[in-house]
Amino acid sequence: MPRPQPSEITFSIDGREVKAPEDMMLADAAKLGDIEIPVFCYEPKLGPPVGACRMCLVEIEGMPKLQTACSTAVKDGMVVHTRSERARVAQEAVVEFLLINHPLDCPVCDKGGECPLQDITFGWGGGKSRFIEPKRHFRKPLELSPLIAIDRERCILCYRCVRYSQEIPEDYQLVLLERGAESFVGTFDGHPYVAPFSGNIVELCPVGALTSRPYRFRARPWEIEDAGSICTLCPAQCNTRLTVRDERVLRVLDRNHPEVDDGWLCDKGRFAYQAMHVDERITSPMIRDGGVLREVGWDRALAEAVGALRRGGSATAALAGGGATNEEGLLLGRLLREVLGSSHLDSRDGEAVSLPHWRALANPKLAARVSDLEFAHAVLVLDCEPLDDMPILDLRLRKGARRNGVKLLIATERASALDSRADAAIRFAPGRGAELAWALAAALRGEPVDAAAQAAGIATDDLHALADALRDAGREIVILYGERVLDGDPGALLALADALGLAEQDGGGLLGVPAVANGRGLREAGVTPNAGPGLGLPALAGGHGAREIARRLASGELTALYLLQVDPVLHYSDAELWERALARATTVVAHASFLTPGLREHATVIFPAETSPEKEGTITHPDGRVQRLRVAAAHAGDVRAEWRVLAEIIERLGGAPTPPTARALSEALFEDVPFYGGLTLDGLAGRGLRWPELQVSNTLSDAYEEAEPKLRKPLRAAKGKLLVGTYRSIWAAPEVAASPALAFLTPRQRVELAAADAEALELRHDEAVVISDGEREVRARVVLRAAAPAGTAFLERELEEDGANVLRGPHVTIRTVASVEAEAAALIAAEEARAAAETETLAQAEAEQVT
Amino acid sequence: MRLAVERWDPGEDQIEVQRAPEPGVAGGAYRAFGETLRGLKTTFARVIEGVHTIQYPEQKVAVYPRFRGRHKLHRFEDSDLEKCVGCSLCAAACPADCIRVVAAENTPELRISAGERYAAVYEINMSRCIFCGYCEVACPFDAITMGHDYELSDYNRGDLIFTKEMLLAEPLDQTPLRAQGE
Repeated sequence: MPRPQPSEITFSIDGREVKAPEDMMLADAAKLGDIEIPVFCYEPKLGPPVGACRMCLVEIEGMPKLQTACSTAVKDGMVVHTRSERARVAQEAVVEFLLINHPLDCPVCDKGGECPLQDITFGWGGGKSRFIEPKRHFRKPLELSPLIAIDRERCILCYRCVRYSQEIPEDYQLVLLERGAESFVGTFDGHPYVAPFSGNIVELCPVGALTSRPYRFRARPWEIEDAGSICTLCPAQCNTRLTVRDERVLRVLDRNHPEVDDGWLCDKGRFAYQAMHVDERITSPMIRDGGVLREVGWDRALAEAVGALRRGGSATAALAGGGATNEEGLLLGRLLREVLGSSHLDSRDGEAVSLPHWRALANPKLAARVSDLEFAHAVLVLDCEPLDDMPILDLRLRKGARRNGVKLLIATERASALDSRADAAIRFAPGRGAELAWALAAALRGEPVDAAAQAAGIATDDLHALADALRDAGREIVILYGERVLDGDPGALLALADALGLAEQDGGGLLGVPAVANGRGLREAGVTPNAGPGLGLPALAGGHGAREIARRLASGELTALYLLQVDPVLHYSDAELWERALARATTVVAHASFLTPGLREHATVIFPAETSPEKEGTITHPDGRVQRLRVAAAHAGDVRAEWRVLAEIIERLGGAPTPPTARALSEALFEDVPFYGGLTLDGLAGRGLRWPELQVSNTLSDAYEEAEPKLRKPLRAAKGKLLVGTYRSIWAAPEVAASPALAFLTPRQRVELAAADAEALELRHDEAVVISDGEREVRARVVLRAAAPAGTAFLERELEEDGANVLRGPHVTIRTVASVEAEAAALIAAEEARAAAETETLAQAEAEQVT
Repeated sequence: MRLAVERWDPGEDQIEVQRAPEPGVAGGAYRAFGETLRGLKTTFARVIEGVHTIQYPEQKVAVYPRFRGRHKLHRFEDSDLEKCVGCSLCAAACPADCIRVVAAENTPELRISAGERYAAVYEINMSRCIFCGYCEVACPFDAITMGHDYELSDYNRGDLIFTKEMLLAEPLDQTPLRAQGE
């Protein structure tokens, strides 16, 4: 689907000659001539205009009646008058009409001061009303959801929120109820509007009808400062605008970046800012003293960490995650490789991926942009759930499919939220993304697919159907893959890209979703076991990946661990191995914002971590866009810049000096990473730059030799057992649990089952069960899902309690809590009976002796 | 080019400077006493007029009714609810930036003001205030007015930040108002 290339036309507006792209709506084109046409309902992001509010009436020569500028496309030679007498009378009349039912509670209303209705009434209204009848009344303010308050008296019925709900996240929850003058916005049966993207309607509402409950009455527009920032809660890295008052972040708004977020935010990004200012947040350094974590001063904590790291030396490993910046990654690499002499550092779960694979994956020719998802011929979603892993892309994929007819193909292990939009969807066995990619590549190349299809756990017919759909869709294909797909065999994805010829296409390519927000940036800054900064050869070879680090820590070969905003017990798979690893390690130094389970039990030194509004540095978007973080709010409590902490540790351990300012450090990063060459902080400005588009000498060679597929054995069904798959929910984050407004969304473990499996196991919906892989157990509630693939149970990862990370699989048994308890009770009863019998026999024996 | 510059004629601006008499017997005596006595004439004339000093602080200067002194916040007389809804318009209008308002929401259990919101914090920094009265003009609910009190000195600056409770309370002493025609 090639991007539209409109031709330029000239039209006249209020006596000015203005050039504009053809078929642009008049309301937008007028802005090109510095003329504002007032609008309420018009919002280009919401798709085609509806002309509901009538505010944008203008006079067009040759047309007998006034036209709505929002729904009239501009044509060559058009002559428009926005301030003629006819237009003016109409605009005043519309304002008067819209204000008929609008209460005059501006001093109380949260929108006051930033309200389009206020501004337009002031600018285009007549300043008087002839309406003396009583206004309509509703109960107010009501909770539309725990996050949003609705005041129906203020609503001017512009339909924006209803259109949003139907066109953008397509949840169809918001509707206009009743008819005509009686209409009001609501949900069916008045149930709360809870959805992953519900917060956007607050920003869309042109009046104070929909307001944010966490921001309710917190500040006025003239009391706040705006600060551009980037959300680092997930890899989407949406651009945000923070509302700061008295050095506290009070609100998060979008900062529309068409190449990143398209002007939307998810509710996690919009409301989890609250976690910055809660009591649970770690705001001063802590050390473990007599088995208990205790707050200490910086000097003491730094001395403790430096001493422990010096003892650890080359037996130190490091992991980075969360929103750690590229600069922090660079310093972590220097600390490990140059100062401590260890190369064991990683920023992703699982086994290490080899350097040639990383270099081939980072090849600019294979890189897709985010906006390609909207204009490609087809998008293949491979082994990731956009809604959970990179939420804002869910909206982008829906937009592409809805407006541009992009073919959406889905290959995941778990049922996806996008299934209803998809042209084809197949399910493979849990964890077998690589095998699926091999199978698909073979099918596209016309090679035999049976072995790979079997290992992936899919039917060959489904596979060929998917391959045909991909082949028929067109040239430009984007593969949106979760980085989990690299776990089995990283070559599989490259083989698939080769089979589709992605390197030759401009509008297609690969777009990888890492597990952590800055996964790509950390890797490129050198936080990966077998590559230094810029995916070059590391200063020190022989590094181990995260899984191997865990094994070596557990066996005592490694003794110290440096954790940069990651808790492997919570975030990485095989939590039990990590639990043992951390328990065995003599030193665990961590940068963290919250006391997650692994840190609470095992950390020896904890430095408070910064949140993104406090940070300075750069991060890299999964599509290669280097974006800049600036300080927007003061550090809470005793928090210090994390790069300064790392620099201090390096200095105390006798390493090379670190540049003295964050700016100089960023420049050092751009120097160290060859393909960031040519970037400058000023060049990044507010929008960032994609390095794959930069014309710098590319050090990533095209040389990549495809190896033979490495296929794992097919997963066999076992009697009375189910395969286990895991996923991470969008809400599984310590920030969500800590934010008072979002806490109600904190997930609890639930096991998704197909109806047939539940019937076979005699389980009901919402029944409490125990899931066991033979050694470890997880408690959950049963959720029956129609789309769940039969034979597999899906559980949530990364929960503080009962996370599925502990299960090793591949098979699990599921029993009800009642039966487990009954069994335990029976065991206890049997034990008691045995003990009673024993005492009785003893008593008898004694009695016999006495006699 | 003219070589000689004409002498500037000051014209009517020229005034005659009065000079003291030359030193001498008569002139010297006049210099010693004459001018002093002329000055003292005004002094002695005021002595017989009586005392003008106001014995502040025992005695206070009466102010005009429209005098702009210390602000007052008001309650409704019938319901005792605060008139202020914490809209911050006063803070927006304030040219000295001396007003800080933090609003909060009324609940059925804790109703402070008549509207949905109330001012949880309302502070005026009196050491910054220029008593222009714009806050009074901006207030949509007549919740803040300028009072008549002008005794605002204190021993430290912190005490000059007046809180909502202080602004709601009646001042301890009533400042006297000028009677009509006074």
